[in-house]
Amino acid sequence: MPDTHFYRYDDYDRTLVAERVDQFRDQVRRRIAGELTEEQFKPLRLTNGLYLQLHAYMLRIAIPYGTLASHQLRKLAEISRKYDRGYGHFTTRQNLQLNWIKLEDAPDALAALAEVDMHAMQTSGNCIRNVTADHFAGAAIDEIEDPRIWCEIVRQWSTLHPEFSFLPRKFKIAITGSPNDRAAVRVHDIGLRLWRNEQGEVGFEVIVGGGLGRTPMIGKTLREFLPRDELLAYLEATLRVYNRYGRRDNLYKARIKILVHEIGAEKMREEVEAEYASIRDSALRLPAETIEAIAEQFAPPVLAERPAISGQVEAERLSNPEFALWLKSNVAPHRVQGHAIVTASLKPAGSPPGDASAAQMDGVADIADAYSQGEIRVSHEQNLIFPHVALDDLPKVYKSLAALGFAEANVGKITDIIACPGLDYCALANARSIPVAQRISTHFAGLAQQHDIGDLKIKISGCINACGHHHVGHIGILGVDKNGVELYQLSLGGDVDFGKTAIGTILGPAVTADKVVEAVDALVATYLDTRSAGERFVDTYRRVGAKPFKERVYAAV
Amino acid sequence: MPLFSEAGLPASFVALSFADWQSRPEWPAVSLSNTDPVEDLAPHVGRLRLIVLNFPKFSDGRAYSQARLLRGRLGYRGELRATGGVLQDQIPFMLRCGFDSFESEQKGFEEALAKARTLFSVVYQPAEDGRVPASRLRLDHTGPAA
Amino acid sequence: MAKNLSGDLQVASANRLVDGMVVWLDDAGQWTDRLEHAAIARDPRGAEILLERARAESFTVVDPFLVAVSEDDAGVIEPLSLREKIRASGLTFDAIAAEAVRYA
Repeated sequence: MPDTHFYRYDDYDRTLVAERVDQFRDQVRRRIAGELTEEQFKPLRLTNGLYLQLHAYMLRIAIPYGTLASHQLRKLAEISRKYDRGYGHFTTRQNLQLNWIKLEDAPDALAALAEVDMHAMQTSGNCIRNVTADHFAGAAIDEIEDPRIWCEIVRQWSTLHPEFSFLPRKFKIAITGSPNDRAAVRVHDIGLRLWRNEQGEVGFEVIVGGGLGRTPMIGKTLREFLPRDELLAYLEATLRVYNRYGRRDNLYKARIKILVHEIGAEKMREEVEAEYASIRDSALRLPAETIEAIAEQFAPPVLAERPAISGQVEAERLSNPEFALWLKSNVAPHRVQGHAIVTASLKPAGSPPGDASAAQMDGVADIADAYSQGEIRVSHEQNLIFPHVALDDLPKVYKSLAALGFAEANVGKITDIIACPGLDYCALANARSIPVAQRISTHFAGLAQQHDIGDLKIKISGCINACGHHHVGHIGILGVDKNGVELYQLSLGGDVDFGKTAIGTILGPAVTADKVVEAVDALVATYLDTRSAGERFVDTYRRVGAKPFKERVYAAV
Repeated sequence: MPLFSEAGLPASFVALSFADWQSRPEWPAVSLSNTDPVEDLAPHVGRLRLIVLNFPKFSDGRAYSQARLLRGRLGYRGELRATGGVLQDQIPFMLRCGFDSFESEQKGFEEALAKARTLFSVVYQPAEDGRVPASRLRLDHTGPAA
Repeated sequence: MAKNLSGDLQVASANRLVDGMVVWLDDAGQWTDRLEHAAIARDPRGAEILLERARAESFTVVDPFLVAVSEDDAGVIEPLSLREKIRASGLTFDAIAAEAVRYA
């Protein structure tokens, strides 16, 4: 296995994953032989990432903390060719979904994944799901500590947890190590934010009970500062309280956010702290050696400092306006001088957001090998990231990405749309998402126009489960079904930035599918006419309120 | 329902409901619903020989927490029986939480129980079965049990 | 012109167990991936019987259910709901082609 700058499986990890594949192979055999009913089998396949969607089974592969090595991405490409239709969909939870898997092939696909130390465990089902992190982790300029160290510790603790595999509902944990939250920690079942207190110690703010879905809620801080080595005890205490007292009578009220809401944050804190007091000094306390051993594996690559300005970049910037725009939107500062973090946009104009073909995955892996220490990240905004690129290499990275169709200079812009798979694939959806995203993307494709409009996050979900995070879009679009007709409800003012996290407000009556583009156009026009200097769309909305936006939209549709 | 037991008490051994047992706390066997407060058994665990925990559906996991509290927190050492929605694919989890007897109607349960302890040779968490998690074994620099 | 838009006509559908593929029950009681071969129930009693037959044949499929369809004068049947239209005819956009992107 090639060396990586993140956690490397040892024999324990490999043994467990291999035994899990064997167990699932036997479960699939028993299902096909008729020894298991669908009702009995469903939770077993779900906790191995296998859904039954509209047209086929879908396999959701975990990409823990969104971090991939190039050889892993190539294996994903190979699996998509061999067992699927040669493409995959990167999701808002940093996973990869293959849409056309056969049940009879699923154990082999999982065995192939295991060859590169990957799995699909707990990417579905009422258990602790794949833990997500800041996609700039380990490279971000504002980072206090790499959150992936803690994601890995949580990944191991939560994997096949005997007590928490039949929770009232799914359970999502996100961790950020930066003050600029790129992991949306306030809208997770548990969000953890690493910060440094006045004594200079690093610990976790523990935020519980956030989430989107039917009842969007911003999480409450249960603990301002938790010592790092007590993390697992605190998580176990929180999960135990939830497992015992979370509602099981109503699917829509079963998430931990409803428990926190119903008993109140104060009572929740009392319950968790009481449980925590009983177990904080148990075997769950992490020995320093364990933390250090995992932290060492996340030691960043050694990058020599380079000049802060690159001659190649400056020359290319002057001669190529699209490259200049790309530098502004798709390239972020790196903590080591002379380097940058590059986002490959999986949102070329008019394409399904987050989709990549096997050839594109191979191409991204090659670029990572050549220019980014062999490492790739998946963002919850459904893009791929090269975390460690030397400035001098940016023109070459741009050119290679352009050949793949992933060099669109639109990161953070109006066409960098988040969308769930929607009714084209998903058994839960009420309306389509991807075609709506494609129409908006095509309409606003001009890069100069996009950069003039500036930062604007559009997020689209095809049903109230909100996989497309519509609640926290600057413009949120929710597909609903009304008497067999797809309608789209618009909301404004959502945000996931830390300290500004907000749930969007519904603008007015839903519009028909053919009017969505006109409605978004009217929203943008209102912003352009109303903005003050330096204001983003969402800032203007906050300043002037919904009224002018609403009037223009409903005059237009 | 057929009983599969590693513990040894016969199926005929009567466990009282928690409400009935409260009026006869000298009785050595009690059956708890998921909402009965396991903590209240603390003064009695030394005398109890059988505690039955209920899975209303196989997907309702509250009894896993009850089991861990009885074993880990209260130090209960008698028989801990799972009843209700008990399926063979849950056995590894149940064993780890401290169950040692099972009532199940599922075909093939006995064979599955015999294999359940060896299905996974690695565990990641401390639980109630005394197995040492991988994180501890790594500190001892030993290889995996397999 | 479509008849029976009220949804009197029903076919039985499911996903095939081994590969998840969309199938419908035909007149011979076999599961087929061709909607045009689906057995059509034309009244509520017929629909009940069709669903019972589908359930009796459900060893190789997952959770059979009824789908309301329309039938035109040429006998072509089409599901009424968008969801079932998509199940019958596939994605409503072009999925990214596996080898669409070639790079040097």
